[in-house]
Amino acid sequence: MAAQTTAPSSEPGPSAISTFLAGIGRSFLEIAETAGGMTILLVRVLVRLVPPRVDGRELLKNLYKMGVKSLPIVAVTALFTGAIMVIQAATIVKRYGAEGLLGWGAGFGTLREIAPLLTALMISGRVGANNTAELGTMVVTEQLDALRVLAIDPISFLIAPRFISIVATLFMMTLFADALALFGAAYTGEALLDVSPVTFYNGLTSGLLGFGDVANGLFKSIVFGLVIGLASCHFGLATTGGAPGVGRAVNSTVMASAAGIFVLDYLTSFALGG
Amino acid sequence: MSTTGGQTEPLEHPHQELGAIGALGAAAIDLIIGGRELYSVFVRTLYYVARGRREKGALVRQMYEIGNRSIFFLSITMGFIGMILVYQAGLQAKRVVPDYTLLGATYLELLVRDFAASLGALMLATRVGAGIAAEIGSMVVTEQIDALRMCAADPIDFLIKPRFLASLIMTTMLIVWAGTVAFVAGAFTAYFAYDVPLQTFFNMALVDSGDLAIGLTKCVAYGAAIPIVSGYCGLSTFGGSEGVGWATTRAVVNTSLAIIILNFFISGAGFLIFPG
Repeated sequence: MAAQTTAPSSEPGPSAISTFLAGIGRSFLEIAETAGGMTILLVRVLVRLVPPRVDGRELLKNLYKMGVKSLPIVAVTALFTGAIMVIQAATIVKRYGAEGLLGWGAGFGTLREIAPLLTALMISGRVGANNTAELGTMVVTEQLDALRVLAIDPISFLIAPRFISIVATLFMMTLFADALALFGAAYTGEALLDVSPVTFYNGLTSGLLGFGDVANGLFKSIVFGLVIGLASCHFGLATTGGAPGVGRAVNSTVMASAAGIFVLDYLTSFALGG
Repeated sequence: MSTTGGQTEPLEHPHQELGAIGALGAAAIDLIIGGRELYSVFVRTLYYVARGRREKGALVRQMYEIGNRSIFFLSITMGFIGMILVYQAGLQAKRVVPDYTLLGATYLELLVRDFAASLGALMLATRVGAGIAAEIGSMVVTEQIDALRMCAADPIDFLIKPRFLASLIMTTMLIVWAGTVAFVAGAFTAYFAYDVPLQTFFNMALVDSGDLAIGLTKCVAYGAAIPIVSGYCGLSTFGGSEGVGWATTRAVVNTSLAIIILNFFISGAGFLIFPG
């Protein structure tokens, strides 16, 4: 906020450059505020986990609502994604006549990047946004204050179960999406390129891909889960201003999750290496 | 703001009393009704594009809102995805053929055919789609849409049409920009991580007119799908602040699904038409 007030006042009348600089400063401060708020929230949740003080029934309810209810959408996404990966690999495979490598080509892209990434984006839309909407509505209708009045800690009752559920959901959904995407890829290969599923699975298991590739994708899914959980809880709790405020909070959640997912994807890819 | 509050039951378990088969049937009926309404929104938008009133400035304002304000977000995400894709592709190439001369050409071909349009559009679905649904949804719950109807202004003509046209233009432009950002970021990753010279990486030998045609078809299809699906989700909002949240959520999910399904069909058709 400092940049907003000082930059225009340093010159007589806000010139174009100073408003531009103030805009940059303001967005930088907003990003710093969000990152700081999310870190504080993470610490608050972790403190509640050391001797576990998490509401068990709320945890089970959220695991059902976020995990089981997301299965259809993840299944559709994964099947189509696997098919798309084969269609994209098909041109390259045809050019070199390397049908045996189709499984490897579609497999490494799916397992390492596309399946965790697209599952995370769908879960961020389905679960993360939904979670923000729910928390935001509770904040706007003062239900969180009611919890505090009843001496119930909102973090252990509401936030920690949701946070754990989101991380667990994304991890399990990525496992599920890996399998379904490869399944979709195998049968698209048969329909489009006459590569039999057996050849496809041989390409997957012939030694070019190892458990390391699967583990790489699964580790990323945990990182993405942390980002989605933190972003959705943070923006949900920071909601102000009635129904339009809830809409804005959901919008900020999906944007922050998407940006966070891509940035951390890059960092974890480099950190994990080959 | 008639019904705010935590009554999540009617939204979450609408068909609980029906049993398994009944719930399946109810879901199918919901899907058909939703599809028909979505189609009706699409057709009415096209009708108003041809016949509707011209409101001065609405289109430019929406183009600014959808286009200019997404550039920063899109540049960041596409820059990072470009770096990741080249890094991962290089790792795999090292295992099979330690030859990076065609890395740039193949990457550019895939980017033009698919990744620039699809990943860029998924990002726009979260940024633009959620924005449209949140805005129109808040108008619905504060009864501004009903006020529009009272003034004999169809909300499709007044709200969806400018967003539709703006998105059609700006999605194409943003995706071209997104592809550029992803390619340049990839080129620098290849240079620093695998010592691929920039001249070798900037190789357009594999991009032909078929790839360009597929990429541009995708741009137009996604540009049309994002405002229609999210506008429909916004217009079908009900029930206070919780309803706005639900509408925004559904907009993100349905727009992303629409993009993935459209991608499947366009890519499949493209492969059959331009098999090169």
